[in-house]
Amino acid sequence: MSKTKKTSGERMETLLKGDPLDRVPFLSFILGFCARNVGYPVSTIYSDPEKSFQAQVFTKEQYGYDSDPFFGYASYGGCEFGGEIKLPDGEYEQAPSNKRFAVQAEDDVDRLVLPDVQSAGMLPLAMQFSKLQAENQMSPSVVVGGPFTVAGNICVVETLCRWSIKKPDLAHRLLRLATDHVVSVVAHWVETFGKGRVSVQIWEPLASNQIISPKQFEKLVLPYQVELHEKILALGIKVILCHICGEQNLNLPCWAQVPMGDPGIISIGKEVEIDTALEHFGEDHIVAGNIEPTILQAGTPREVYEVCGRAIEKGKHAPRGYALMQGCEVPVNTPPYNLYMMKKATEDFGQY
Amino acid sequence: MVVEGPTSICWEENMAGEERVKELTQGLYNAVIKMDEDAARELSQAVVDEGVDAYYAITNGLTAAMEKVSELYTAGEYYVPELLLCSDALYTGLDVLKPHLTVEEAATDRSVIIGTVEGDIHDIGKNLVKIMFETAGWTVHDLGKDVLVPRFAEEQAKIHADMVALSALMSTSMLAMPKVIEALKREDPDVTVLVGGAPLTRDIAESYGADGYADDAVEAIKEANNMLARLGR
Repeated sequence: MSKTKKTSGERMETLLKGDPLDRVPFLSFILGFCARNVGYPVSTIYSDPEKSFQAQVFTKEQYGYDSDPFFGYASYGGCEFGGEIKLPDGEYEQAPSNKRFAVQAEDDVDRLVLPDVQSAGMLPLAMQFSKLQAENQMSPSVVVGGPFTVAGNICVVETLCRWSIKKPDLAHRLLRLATDHVVSVVAHWVETFGKGRVSVQIWEPLASNQIISPKQFEKLVLPYQVELHEKILALGIKVILCHICGEQNLNLPCWAQVPMGDPGIISIGKEVEIDTALEHFGEDHIVAGNIEPTILQAGTPREVYEVCGRAIEKGKHAPRGYALMQGCEVPVNTPPYNLYMMKKATEDFGQY
Repeated sequence: MVVEGPTSICWEENMAGEERVKELTQGLYNAVIKMDEDAARELSQAVVDEGVDAYYAITNGLTAAMEKVSELYTAGEYYVPELLLCSDALYTGLDVLKPHLTVEEAATDRSVIIGTVEGDIHDIGKNLVKIMFETAGWTVHDLGKDVLVPRFAEEQAKIHADMVALSALMSTSMLAMPKVIEALKREDPDVTVLVGGAPLTRDIAESYGADGYADDAVEAIKEANNMLARLGR
């Protein structure tokens, strides 16, 4: 019989306060799966805030995770700065992708201006979604990219890589615009919903060591990342959930210097071991992760259950808390029972 | 970082003197490693103007340097930005030198069809693999990104490449791989298929029917050469 005593909301509040929990919380990085789950096209999750919200509420109820619905996508920033994105529509697609980049050539960088946060790109849809969150007694959330990811979505990431060495002025200009834009977006949410009510997620996949070196991260990314988080926290945001996506092991000493709130939540990918993350962040922040999406999609229910069990055993006594979470977005083709195995593992292994 | 030089110099075939051939070849080698496109262009033009053997300059200067770049990448000294800029210098030099190769020298005996599978627009990994194949002297038929499942088999029917290399970054899009492989093997049972990308593992690659798997671009060309060696090709 389940020993669960708290509601999801109570459990998350307890986690953030650092009070004793009934069990390890279960957060879900889940979007397109929810649309499929209730019979909508995957693109609905990004194009129709009402249906997106509804699909996520229903899916949360069904699978029993503790995180609330959210509106976000990893290619954030591209269309907000004047590029074009394509919503997922094929059998093998699950997220928006950049169709045309705002910056095609060096001269385009000079022409870039800070987007109007009331009207740019997908922000009006994100705002509609947040109003639904507020109407349903949830914290309005805003999901954005880190400066390097936003910059890499304004131009092509290969171009950003080249400029980071050969034309650093252009790379810095993009990072400056990306940082200022994200601060403006968060400020817009705070103005709309009030101080202390908004939660923020920052996703940073492009600054991984699969692309740039730890030295490049330290020199080029870290100053903007620190500035961004400091300014966001100064706006009254209490907790930043930062998803450091992909291979970030060599960047961890830098990430540990980035303020996230007291505590913040560090969401790690499959590439970062939970023990390693706890060494770097455990004293200051909640660590969440790191279940590999491919295991969810291609593994057996037993494999998923066992992997989750091992993760919970490693994380459950973390000083500031641990939450079971996928290491990146739940693939849309995940067998539903595998997702249920995550919930079952939290109940079986995660009791305090 | 110490920039090492090419090893053996066959200077007798060249009009320029031994020291000059060494200087130009070493210069090309350094230009690639130091990501210097201007130097690669100027030195390649000097190779042409001074009658140095273009094939020699390419193999001992430009492509020898890319082998060193691969080592630096594997060792964690170079990352994607450096790899891209080194390859820019390489291609700049090749653009100047390739027209001066003989027909025999320009001919390549290995070819690969490469692409990112349907549903996936992430092509940075595929592009790095392409660089490595070209550097190793393969003829590359690049189908691009978000390549529809049947396209690979259609291309193989026309090209009869030695290998087809498939890339995917997303867990969702990698599900296109077994369908691509099935279509390829139906078209050409002897085709060898190499797969790679962040969500893949060797076990998954095998379960999809792939003949080989690589973790990164440098591994990809090693694995490709090993696969063909195993087949006695």
